[in-house]
Amino acid sequence: MTRFRWKQIGFACAFVGALWACGGGGGTDNSTPTPTPTNPTDQASSDRKAMLTNIADNIILPSYANFKTKFDAMLVKSDAFAAKPDKTTLTELRQSWVDAYTEWQKVELFDVGPAEQRTLRNFFNIYPTDVTGIEAYVTAGSGAFDVPASYPKQGFPALDYLINGLGATDDAIVARYTTAADAAKRIAYLKRLTTQMNSMFTTVYTDWTTGGYRDTFINCTALNAGCSTSKLVNGYVLNYERYIRSGKFGIPSGAMANGTVAPDKVEGYYKKDLSLTLAKTAHQATIDFFNGKNVKTGQEGPGLKTYLNSLGAKDSSTGTSLVDIINKQFDLTNQQLNVLKPNLSDEVKTNTAAVVEVYTRMQKAVRMLKVDMTTAMSITITYTDNDGD
Amino acid sequence: MRNYLRKTTSAAPLAVFRILFGLMLFGSIVRFWSKGWIDELYVKPRYFFPFYGFEFVHALGQNTYLLFAVCGLSALLVALGLFYRVAIIGLFVSFTYIELIDKSTYLNHYYFTSMVGLLLIFLPAHAYFSADAYRRRTLLADRIPAWCIDSLKLFVALLYFFAGLAKLNSDWLFHALPLRIWLPAHNDIPMVGFLFNYHWIPYVFSWFGCLYDLSIPFLLLNRRTRPWAYVAVVIFHGLTALLFPIGMFPYIMIVTALIFFSADFHQIIIDQIGVWFSASTRFMRPYRGYTYQPLVTKAILISFAVFFTIQLLFPFRYLLYPGELFWTEQGYRFSWRVMLMEKAGYAQFTVKDNSGNRIIVNNTEFLTPLQEKMMSTQPDMMLQYAHLLRDYYARHGFRSPQVYVDSYVALNGRMGRPLIDPNVDLANEQESFQHKAWITSFNDTIYGF
Repeated sequence: MTRFRWKQIGFACAFVGALWACGGGGGTDNSTPTPTPTNPTDQASSDRKAMLTNIADNIILPSYANFKTKFDAMLVKSDAFAAKPDKTTLTELRQSWVDAYTEWQKVELFDVGPAEQRTLRNFFNIYPTDVTGIEAYVTAGSGAFDVPASYPKQGFPALDYLINGLGATDDAIVARYTTAADAAKRIAYLKRLTTQMNSMFTTVYTDWTTGGYRDTFINCTALNAGCSTSKLVNGYVLNYERYIRSGKFGIPSGAMANGTVAPDKVEGYYKKDLSLTLAKTAHQATIDFFNGKNVKTGQEGPGLKTYLNSLGAKDSSTGTSLVDIINKQFDLTNQQLNVLKPNLSDEVKTNTAAVVEVYTRMQKAVRMLKVDMTTAMSITITYTDNDGD
Repeated sequence: MRNYLRKTTSAAPLAVFRILFGLMLFGSIVRFWSKGWIDELYVKPRYFFPFYGFEFVHALGQNTYLLFAVCGLSALLVALGLFYRVAIIGLFVSFTYIELIDKSTYLNHYYFTSMVGLLLIFLPAHAYFSADAYRRRTLLADRIPAWCIDSLKLFVALLYFFAGLAKLNSDWLFHALPLRIWLPAHNDIPMVGFLFNYHWIPYVFSWFGCLYDLSIPFLLLNRRTRPWAYVAVVIFHGLTALLFPIGMFPYIMIVTALIFFSADFHQIIIDQIGVWFSASTRFMRPYRGYTYQPLVTKAILISFAVFFTIQLLFPFRYLLYPGELFWTEQGYRFSWRVMLMEKAGYAQFTVKDNSGNRIIVNNTEFLTPLQEKMMSTQPDMMLQYAHLLRDYYARHGFRSPQVYVDSYVALNGRMGRPLIDPNVDLANEQESFQHKAWITSFNDTIYGF
């Protein structure tokens, strides 16, 4: 009798122990390759490793490489301008800045891994730029670049001010770097600014290329908050909601506060005719990423689209797939973007309703991405226990 | 009935339960503390969501650590059976206080723990094999009234049964929701992950889970099925621990289910621990019965009858509200509805007044990510948040602010829809147990409980 009971206890303990061990192991062991099912059902597309590999190798890395090309070119032109500020070098710098800033729109959405860890965006694209702060830094000849208060004093928006906003004509701008009393200090600031941007980007890029992050990224296939898919999607949705919808349209158009337009809060404010291009580029990058579009070939591969389709995510009342619904909303937004003229600063003043309409259409996409997509994928934003109720 | 109430039983199962319950809770507190969740959930947030009727419960700032210390220490004392009554009251009060601070952290197993703590206050769990009984031999007893243990069994049985009943709905049984959404997320775990790519697997899990919940109390009660039922308990909760981020819950249930085992089973455990401590025979086998004073017995029995009547009825209170329970969540909490919904939401609040002030609220300025996530799908929390915004903006230049919410909620994979009427000024709505007419109606039907 007693022996039998002991067996029961031992049995139970062994079970609990074994499961506890499994539980611990299963949660953390992410390096184990995904097993191949014998008879797959949509396995090819619900395989997150394949999706992450396509995203890393065919989207993120080539996008960073493309940006690096444009960015490096801008650094060369910036050095040339610093060495010999005149109208020619200024024009060349300005064009290279336009190219790099536009290309930046295609990488800002990758808020994952090294870029997230180092908050790359904060050093590249926080606007409206802080003119008073920049002038104080110029005068002082020094100043920290790594504190939150310094974010609006650097990056592309600061360069925008320095090469487009210092005077009404190119002659006037060049004069600020040649004949003005603080010309040398201004050149020094320009150099510090580009050096800072270069060092930030190089760190992130190196982590991805030679630092091994690419492998970490594709092997962290779990869907919990600490792994690639969740971080990637969270960053992607955040970028769309806060930095495209709000930053580029919601805030300047006044849709988000009091209905008071804020023409000085558009992106690329001093360049004037670039803001719509930047917004369109960022929006298209969002669409292409969603569809898993290979940056090099333009072909669609494993991405959010195929993953959602493999899960069978659809509107159960109509049978329309979630992917089609989201893409349709992206299209509607594109149509509205095409209505606008290049200078958004003018548009929010004279064509406010049309800009607000972009915001409204984007808002609908935000809900779909943030709620319908994440709920279908079972991605959460919480990091504590949750019994699902 | 009278005969049943006079029946006595071995005190060993209750003693083992006390020890394991105390240790489990102590472990939970240590785990919670070490993960930094005290700071994250109770110190850092600027605002909290108290339960209706418990608005007097406040976060204690840095003193929250003290509260957890009291809770952990009480749990340890309960396990030891030292100063038991004080310790179990301390445990119940501190634990319940913590859980009442913020709705965002509500979990069914916290409620379960609280209620077990409440029951234990009135049970002689320290009569046998405790430090108290060791110090005070007049307390020592190895027989206790049978209803003491049966009331715990009944409570555990209720939990399982109601959890099973709640699964008898069309989403769970016929659409395998939400498991159909959750399981593919784990298709990369070793050995079994590939299974989750098959469309029929979530159905197997759903039906097994439902049958398990409904039948396990009876299978545990029956002596012959008990060992296999316990294996099922371990496998079931082990699997949930593996697949879902539900923390200590599976382990608490695995340990709790031991209460169904025979007195002999528990005696063997106690005897073994007794051997380690070289306990005397007089301490291990006092051959004494624990008796309450007649009046006390009567008072406790009446209170327990009330308690269990409430427990039996409370999960059905949702029937008093119109609308789909999963959508409105009126009567959803405190009803053992576990893992039933994949619900996600997005809520954007607009505050305005008649003098032209208008702002779209950035929720992150007020709430933590967890709070925002919970608020976005639960109407009562949205109302609390709306009032918080009303009061905040009234202090910041708005005149009688109005608060509107643009909400969007997806339930069990359905496309998102507004949960709250966007034209209702929530600043003017009051919390109550009445139906909230400003919750939109659900555009689908979920059949069943």
